[in-house]
This record gives sequence, C-alpha cells and structure tokens, in this order.
Amino acid sequence: MAITAGLALLFAGLLTRQAGVHAQAPGQNQLTVYSPQTSYSVPLLDVNGQPYAGLVELLEPLGSVDARIDGKKYKLHFTPPGGRPLEVQFAGGKDKGKVRGNGYKLPANFVLQNGRGYVPLSVTSEIISRLLGSDAQLHPAARRLFIGNVQARYTLELHKDNPSRLLLGFSSPVNPSIATEPGRVRLTFRREPIVSSGPENVPYSDPLISGVTFSEHDGLAELDVTGTAPLMANFADGGKTIIVTGAPAPAPVAQEAPPAAPAPANPQNPSPQPRQPAGPRFLVLIDPAHGGNDIGAAITPSLPEKDVVLALARRVQRDLVNRGIAAGLLRNSDVAITLDQRAIWTNATRPALYIALHAANTGQGVHVFTAMLPAANLSPQGFLPWDTAQAAFLDLSGSVAGSVAAELESRKLPNATLLAPLRPMNNIAAPAIAVEIAPPAGNVDEIASAAYQEQVAQSIAAGVAAVRAKLPEVRP
Amino acid sequence: MTRRVLLMFAVLALIALGLTFYALHLKRKVARDEQLAAEQQRALAPLTNGPPTPVTLYIASDSDGTLRRTQVNVTLPPERTERARAVLRALFGEYLQSSSSHPIGAGADVRDVYLLGDDTAVVDTNAAFGDAHPSGVLAEELTVASIVVTLNANDSKIGRVKILINGQERETLAGHADLRRFYEASNIGQVVKDLQ
Repeated sequence: MAITAGLALLFAGLLTRQAGVHAQAPGQNQLTVYSPQTSYSVPLLDVNGQPYAGLVELLEPLGSVDARIDGKKYKLHFTPPGGRPLEVQFAGGKDKGKVRGNGYKLPANFVLQNGRGYVPLSVTSEIISRLLGSDAQLHPAARRLFIGNVQARYTLELHKDNPSRLLLGFSSPVNPSIATEPGRVRLTFRREPIVSSGPENVPYSDPLISGVTFSEHDGLAELDVTGTAPLMANFADGGKTIIVTGAPAPAPVAQEAPPAAPAPANPQNPSPQPRQPAGPRFLVLIDPAHGGNDIGAAITPSLPEKDVVLALARRVQRDLVNRGIAAGLLRNSDVAITLDQRAIWTNATRPALYIALHAANTGQGVHVFTAMLPAANLSPQGFLPWDTAQAAFLDLSGSVAGSVAAELESRKLPNATLLAPLRPMNNIAAPAIAVEIAPPAGNVDEIASAAYQEQVAQSIAAGVAAVRAKLPEVRP
Repeated sequence: MTRRVLLMFAVLALIALGLTFYALHLKRKVARDEQLAAEQQRALAPLTNGPPTPVTLYIASDSDGTLRRTQVNVTLPPERTERARAVLRALFGEYLQSSSSHPIGAGADVRDVYLLGDDTAVVDTNAAFGDAHPSGVLAEELTVASIVVTLNANDSKIGRVKILINGQERETLAGHADLRRFYEASNIGQVVKDLQ
C-alpha cells in the first residue's frame, strides 16, 4: 500500500512539476492596484518562478466582467462603467491572444487553472491601459499598479523646535498603520498610492530626527523615520499631515519602580497637534463572507462561494458609492478572516450599517436575513453583551432588510426576509443584515453572471439609500 | 532500440503499474465507503421493538426554503432521551433518502440526546453530520430549525436545544448557522412560521 501511495505521490509530483503551477500561501504574494475609484489587492500565482495575475480579479473592481471558457479559448468581456463591452481572448498554454480585437503577444504563455485565466504580471499595466484607455504604471518589484494619475506624493518639513518635529504632508487624508520601535517610527500605507517624492533616503543633521527612508514592497509603501530617541506620530489637519516628534518621557511608576530615570534627550514634553476629532459619518461596511482556506459553499466544483460574494461585494460597494454613500469592504482579496475578527473589526470601524454577503447553490432567489435574537431593551449607546450585541439594533436592521426586500421585489427577483442564527451577525453593534443569493432560476452558473449580480447589487444599494435617513450617522 | 528508449519504457511501465495499483486501491476504498454508508443508513432503523407511534416531523425543503409538518410512525423506546433520539433519527432518515429535498451528509446520525434539567436537550450528532452538511445560510438554518421544532413538537417540555458534533461544540454547522448557542424553541417557532 505504501508503495502504491508513494508511486501515486511521485506521479502527482511529476505532473505538478511539469505544469509548473502552484498557488502561493494567501497574503504572501499580492498585487495592490490603485485606481481613481478604489484600491484593492489581487493574489498572484507563481508559474515557473514568474508571477501571474488573474484577469477576473484584476478587472472586476474596475467594471463588469463576464468570463467564459469556450473550448480551449478563454473569453472575457469587460465593460467599464458607462462603456461598452470589450473582449479579451487567450488560450491556455499559448502566448498569443487578442485584446479589444487586436492581436496581443504575451511574454510567456497564458495560464488556465481551475477555470480561471492568468496573465504574466508584467503585462497587467498594458492590458488595463488598452481596456480603460488610460495610463497604467506598474512597479513590478513592489507589486504595485497605478491606474491613471493616482500617485500621491508627500512633502517633508523639519521644524527644529524643541523637540524637533517632522511634518509629513499629503494631498488627501491618509490612514497608515503606525509601528514604533525605540528610535524609529514606521508608517505603512496599504491603501494609499503613496510614491517617492524625490530621493528615497533623506538624512537630517538634527539632534532628534536622523532621517526618512521611503520604500515599497509586497504591495505597500513604507516611510521609515529614524531618530536618536523614542519617537511618536500624530495625525493633524484631518489626516493630511502626520507629525513625528519625540515621545514623552515615561511617567514615574509607583513605589516599585527604580529611582528617577535619567532625563531623556529632549526633556520637555512635546506638544504635537492633537488629531482633529472627526465628525459623524455614514459608512456602510460590506462583509464578503469566507475567504482564504474557508471557501464557503462549493457553488460548482470550480466556483467557490468566497469568489461569488467578493465579486458581489465590489458591485454593491460601487453602486452605493454611485448613490453618494460611503462604503467599505471588510475583505477585498482572498484572505481568511475569522468570524470573531470580522465582528471586532466591524465594531471598531463603527459603521452605520453592516451587510454580510453569502451565496448558496440550493434554493432560488435572494434571502435577506436579520439576527435571530430575542428582543432586548438595550441602549445602543450603553454596554452591549458580545453574544447579543445585535439585539439593540434589531428594529433598524429589520427596516433595512424590509427596504432591500422591497427593492428586490420591484426588480422581480424572488426573495424572502427571514431571521437567521448567523455568525457573526449577533456580535455586530450596528444595524446589520445578511444577504444570501441563490441561482436565479435553478441555473447554478447564473449566480456569477454580471447581469444577475448587478440586479442584486442595485437592489441592495437602492434599499440602503431608501432608509438612509432612518440610520444614524456614527462618530468614528 | 537505444538504451535511452529502453529506460524510458521501463519508467513508463513502472508508472503504469503504480497507477494500476492505485486505481485498485481507490476502487476498494469506494466499495468500503459505500458499505459503511449503507451500514450507517441501516443504523437509523428503530432501536426497539413495539407498536409504532405517530410522531411529528418538521421536514425541510431546499427548493422552496420551507419546513413542512408531517407525521410518521416510529417505534419509540420508553425512556425520554431515547425517545428524543428515535424521533431525530426518523427525521435524519427522511433527509438521508436519495429523493430528499433537503439532503444532509451521508452517514449523518444522532449519537445521543442528553437532558439538562427538564427543558434543555443536548443533541450529540456524529462527525458525518457536521463534516458533510451542505453549506449555506438557509440550508443550515432549515436543518437546525427542523431539529429544534421536531423535538419540541414531540416533547413539549423541551424548550431549549443545543447541538454538538461528535461530542464537541462547533462554531458553526457548515460555515453559517451558529452552533455555540442554545436555541429556544419559542424563537425558532417564529422562524418556522416564516418558513411554512
């Protein structure tokens, strides 16, 4: 038995080696795309040591995509917003194809895997340029792709106060993650198209700030500020300015602390400008369920639920934004997020509305769910138990569900509104609904069709817009 | 023939031999799995002898997303937890039929039913129930609701139900329905009205 298993493994290994295709672990190898409308991540596939990007994943956030395999040919129709369908055509294992009807030669063979088409990373910018008619610039080593003139540059201003302050200026508000180490502050920009403004290394002859280094890699940009003493960063000017200065000296601690610590290099307390308090805002947070190893339901053997709902989520986001409603995605790539993490991130974001999206291959039409919880007399502003946080928002959630169902009805889409014991909805401290789409008329393949998904997305967006006045704006 | 061609033939022959062995192994494995599934199907037969008693089942249908109330005759043991188990096995038996409109995982079974106090039932299902259950919000909700209301319909004192998989608590049934909580029959009752 061991011998046969070994032979089978050997044979499988030979086949895999010949094909030369294997998937990277999620999150390790991604391309970040910045467009004027949105920024998103596209997982990359390693084929014989060369990175490849999926055409559907690359183009879907930029317009409607309908991809099909016709015999040995892979045909994709991309429709930019307000435009007409444009065809991209390739064949697996061949390097010649067509983009918008014109012949196009890839630097390496087109790859078809599990019903998806992949092109070498190096041609992504050119294909997008041809389809959108606008410039696209790829930073291949950094895995970053800029569409149009989205690049954002920063300014550096060193104020030699006591202590010194380094002002990093941006043309629009930014929200980097900030990591501090002794003598160092690292700002990581994942969503902002920040690019270098000049020399990547700017040294300073200053007693506190030693220099700033810009780098970009793995689909993100980093600004690394180094100093001679502990540093801290603060936001100012509504997020358009980040001020890096000396961190305050640690406060003396209780009786067990050692006697007075030596004075820091800059003994005076810095006086960074406080972060401007943000006003109330109306944000819809969309949660495409599953992701990564958690594929959800297998809609068909080659179509997992996680992909269907991500495509739908991007459509819903686009349709909400078109209606003037700010909308964010809890995941915008194929990453695994636990149910508890989804609830934690949602509650930390404080959205006005949370929408979870699911898909199934059983049943028909669209089901809109609210949480199955007993009504409770809880104040949304007060302390909320984790397991039943949603109970305080059931009335508002029900209003949204009813409004979305009415919009589905008006578009003649079969629908039902139900209660469901669905995680993590019970833990969401905001009005929340879940939407599960099933094939429109028993035809499973139709669930991923652009026309069906767009009808559902329009219904959700219209339903939300109709009850927007009822939903309170939230102060982040 | 050159030595190189001979070597290639030898390698190909070796691979063909290996694949033959592997195909035979897979065939035997499929046969074993089918036999096991059939045994598990047979295991859902009544546990005791005696006159059949009418029991109420709430049977789910995926095609229209509804729960349908029906009666079947089942031989029930005298002990309360065994009775509850027999009722649920009758329900699972309906879902395991090839013609079921709400199929659950092949080999799914109820290992045991425990009572906490007078009103709370803990239903311990086997691994096949959790591992092979179709994934989907509605599909999973229908299963959970049908278990809870079927138990309540046949033993009105059972007002709360908790579902375990293979003796363990699981976060969800198949990625959606919350299995960490106790389900109140009164809450599920409203859902059932919506689903009928």
